[in-house]
Amino acid sequence: MAAPTPSRQAILSLYHNMLRTSQSFSSYNFREYFIRRTKDTFRTIQAESDPNRVGMLYSDAVKEFTVLRRSAIVNQLYGGWKLAIETEKKPEEFKTRGDN
Amino acid sequence: MLAKLPRNAARRIATRACVSSHRSFVQPSGADRASVVDVPSTYQDEAHFTPRADMLGFKLETSLREGSFKEKIRPIYLDMQATTPVDPRVLDAMLPYLTDQYGNPHSRTHAYGWEAEQAVEDSRKHVANLIGADAKDVVFTSGATETNNMAIKGVARFHKEKKRHIITTQTEHKCVLDSCRKLGEEGFDITYLPVQKNGVISLQELEAAIRPSTSLVSIMAVNNETGVIQPLKEIGAICRKHRGVYFHTDAAQAVGKIPLDVNEMNIDLMSISGHKLYGPKGIGAAYVRRRPRVRLEPILSGGGQERGLRSGTLATALVVGLGEAARIAQKEMLTYSVELSGSAGRDHIRIKQLSDRLIDSINSQVEHVVRNGDVNGYPGCVNLSFSYVEGESLLMALKDIALSSGSACTSASLEPSYVLRALGAAEDMAHSSLRFGIGRFTTEAEIDFVVQHIIKTVHTLREMSPLWEMVQEGIDINSIDWSQH
Repeated sequence: MAAPTPSRQAILSLYHNMLRTSQSFSSYNFREYFIRRTKDTFRTIQAESDPNRVGMLYSDAVKEFTVLRRSAIVNQLYGGWKLAIETEKKPEEFKTRGDN
Repeated sequence: MLAKLPRNAARRIATRACVSSHRSFVQPSGADRASVVDVPSTYQDEAHFTPRADMLGFKLETSLREGSFKEKIRPIYLDMQATTPVDPRVLDAMLPYLTDQYGNPHSRTHAYGWEAEQAVEDSRKHVANLIGADAKDVVFTSGATETNNMAIKGVARFHKEKKRHIITTQTEHKCVLDSCRKLGEEGFDITYLPVQKNGVISLQELEAAIRPSTSLVSIMAVNNETGVIQPLKEIGAICRKHRGVYFHTDAAQAVGKIPLDVNEMNIDLMSISGHKLYGPKGIGAAYVRRRPRVRLEPILSGGGQERGLRSGTLATALVVGLGEAARIAQKEMLTYSVELSGSAGRDHIRIKQLSDRLIDSINSQVEHVVRNGDVNGYPGCVNLSFSYVEGESLLMALKDIALSSGSACTSASLEPSYVLRALGAAEDMAHSSLRFGIGRFTTEAEIDFVVQHIIKTVHTLREMSPLWEMVQEGIDINSIDWSQH
């Protein structure tokens, strides 16, 4: 089954949407992972020269996008605590147990 | 409550008058006097509630979750061997089966049952693909512990008339060791193979340990504390050479992380856990070979689901979660990417990078750090011993990092890890170990944060330690003859 080759416009728009959705995850680790993964996926599409492969990768990405959008909503509902790494602190401000 | 108060107060005043006659200056007042305080006029007990205009007469329970977003800061999670977070994509696949598609997968008479059965069979296929097996060979269980019990006790008990010998290793997970201990009580002969200094078993010793009466060899794929990978292919080949010796491997830490193929490795039974590969907890799978058939006695008797090996209704949502997690893991293993070129999968390359970053930066800034286990083990599990620092104190000091000194099952006790002892680590080194578990969702920034904190804390703790002072002065700790009390 040969998927029709998507236009450059369509790929870019999907990339934009996926990146946006990835950024909307409220959990730090998931957000970082999906941003990294989306970039990686689209770099792969960019490097691909075979139009059939591009079509396949594109349709996979479309499927992933729908999953990602729903996941992001669920994550916004139930995630959201800040990780220790997200709160900007100067090194001397870090306290260990025992420091009062 | 308010109505009762004046009466109480009146009685207390009466008692006070009586007590005060005996009191001198230094006599402390009794506890009964401490509470004689009238409630202020503004006091509102917890039942008090002022409705606001927008509440329309309903009482609202304020949720604690939303309120605590700001103040509660969560530690960085680096304990991926204990459990992994559920991948959002896995949760997305599970949700329909937790809401509308609630059918019993064993119902054959209606659409609810059919759709659930279809989902279960798809998941079975995904799990089977991940380990190179046939879908019919996969049996869903409640987790790797159940599977290990089922495989070890099942095979041993089925063949107990003729064969009463089992081989395992000293570094296995607790549930394997305990199943073997139980069988030992039932009269089976158990051989616990020692491991070499790097945590890998010696194939010669395994071959020598096999007897004509051996029914099962159970050796784990990836160790949960040290990340050591056992040579499964060679072990499988040895077991295949001897007739009637089945090879079971506990692959809870290996599935989805390193490539596994049950046919290439001649594995007869395999344990898989859902929550170690970004799936939900409470689900696992067993691979039980059908050709040549491995026969085992089931632990649970009942409706005969799952080839009669594990009766009981399947938890459709959890099974779907495991299947999706397996599918994603396989996809990530096969995905090549431009930036991370290499033959291994995207997850694996990334975890290797992060683990190298962690080890290199710790090694470059702290001395006397020993890595436990084989260096060519699974990179997502790094077990380091910081000499002259106690592991538990280090953990206590690292408030912002979720780490463990060993397996989660034994983290409640202060005993040194039996796995590290089996590797030949001295007691003090086994006590000072920390296990770093790196996973799919770990970032570089987190690794840098952890390294920075570890280094700082190790230096602080060493400065406090008299042992460290002696080492700095050049005294050999091992030469000291500590007095015995």
